[in-house]
Amino acid sequence: MIAAFLQAVVNGALAGSVLALPALGFNTVYAVLRFPNFAVAGLATIGAYAGWVANALWGWPAPAAILAAFVAGGAAGALCDAAALKPLRPLGALAAAIGSVALNIVLENAVRFAFGNNPRGYDLPVFRDWRFGAIGIGPQEVEDAAIALLAMAAVFLLLRTTRIGKAMRAVSDNATLAESKGIDPVRVAWAANILGLGLCGIGGMLVALDTSLDPLTGFRVLLSIFAAAVVGGLGSIPGAVAGAFVVGIGEELSTLVVAPTYRTAMGFLAILIVLSFRPRGLLGERAY
Amino acid sequence: MSLLAAAGVVCGYGAADEILHGADLAVRPGELVAIIGPNGAGKSTLLKAIAGMLRLKRGTICFDGRPIERTSAGERARMGIVFVPQEANVFPTMTVSENLEMGGFLEPRQARQKIAVLSERFPVLGEKRRAAARTLSGGQRQVLAMAMALMVGPRLLLLDEPSAGLAPLAADKLFATIGAIHREGTAIAMVEQNALSALAIADRGVVLVDGRAARTGPAHAMAEDPEVRRLFLGG
Repeated sequence: MIAAFLQAVVNGALAGSVLALPALGFNTVYAVLRFPNFAVAGLATIGAYAGWVANALWGWPAPAAILAAFVAGGAAGALCDAAALKPLRPLGALAAAIGSVALNIVLENAVRFAFGNNPRGYDLPVFRDWRFGAIGIGPQEVEDAAIALLAMAAVFLLLRTTRIGKAMRAVSDNATLAESKGIDPVRVAWAANILGLGLCGIGGMLVALDTSLDPLTGFRVLLSIFAAAVVGGLGSIPGAVAGAFVVGIGEELSTLVVAPTYRTAMGFLAILIVLSFRPRGLLGERAY
Repeated sequence: MSLLAAAGVVCGYGAADEILHGADLAVRPGELVAIIGPNGAGKSTLLKAIAGMLRLKRGTICFDGRPIERTSAGERARMGIVFVPQEANVFPTMTVSENLEMGGFLEPRQARQKIAVLSERFPVLGEKRRAAARTLSGGQRQVLAMAMALMVGPRLLLLDEPSAGLAPLAADKLFATIGAIHREGTAIAMVEQNALSALAIADRGVVLVDGRAARTGPAHAMAEDPEVRRLFLGG
């Protein structure tokens, strides 16, 4: 029993670290543009397929394929935002959020059109699990988690030390004041979209490496991404990471007591519990 | 010639809503103008209109002789018009030194040196440079907001109720600071509830009533004027 518990915690932590990337992306976009962009699911799928094209078709190694996932997610996301969501934002967060649901359906079907419905596989070796006593850990999952942690560290460094990163935090803190200090809201919006939705692209590829690659890869984790973002605090960057670990570990632990089909319901349970005690999420809306 | 000349400004917050009904304001280079008047007269609205945060329905605003009423808040900041709002005038989750850096966003090359100068001038900012702005007291926050405005070497400083919510001692210190900035040659338009303190450091006073400039004159004369005293200065 203890072994099963520990195994679930380890699996949950690994899953949580992968989930943290799209959650971080979701919250980056929310922090700057103040609306929930549900197209993150479709963009995660696009990132996963871009990584697959780079890896399986062009023979790029995994790190380069992950870069391709970032570029594809970020570019597709920022362009789609400019074309479809930006015009909706003046109408309010709800209009933009609904628009993003529609955009998500378009993206998903664009992927279906281009790549078909059949699952695809990356051209990467399969390793046997490492065993530590009763606990088994997959090298692929560890590698995914390491990539996710590296990407997160890069994001924190960017937000902390670069001019555009600080400008993004300033806009998230107080958009009106930021504009009056000469920070261009349009440029910051582009930067937030490229960064945030690029992270969703990487997250999608890591999820696909962990599970399977098909047009619904991103959609399957959308609820978990949203739950992680809400649990951590909408618009909070460290909150997204904390929320992702809570949701990841919670989902895995739930499989010890209920059938795995109820796994995604755990995200909602986590929202219910956390928001009952901390209505603004674990870390509030503090962007950084 | 005026540095700033706003004439016949009509604007408000909603489509139907008009707060300013043709307000005028002129600020000469290096002049400190105190804008006083009853609550709801449109004092803060006038500053926001000049800063570019509200669209005018009618009227003109000229800066350096050029019409600016169609330019954005960012473009006006680039011209040297720097607005310090009454509330939400710092970035709460960013550190004091990051706030200063954002204040000087348009002049990044001089930022480091300016931060050093301002930290010397306002020692509290140097001591708290790594603290998040939300942890500052009200007085410290106003000092930070003022210092952020000084990061770019403003040509016209727009101060919206800088002493609001401050203890008397902190307010006195702040007025002394504003007076010093003025003596260094920066033109300032300042809205204040604390009319006597504002007139004490100002060159000129403007009384705004019901969205219009009701009267204007030298600050010291206005502070003595029995009618102004009766209406706005409490006796």
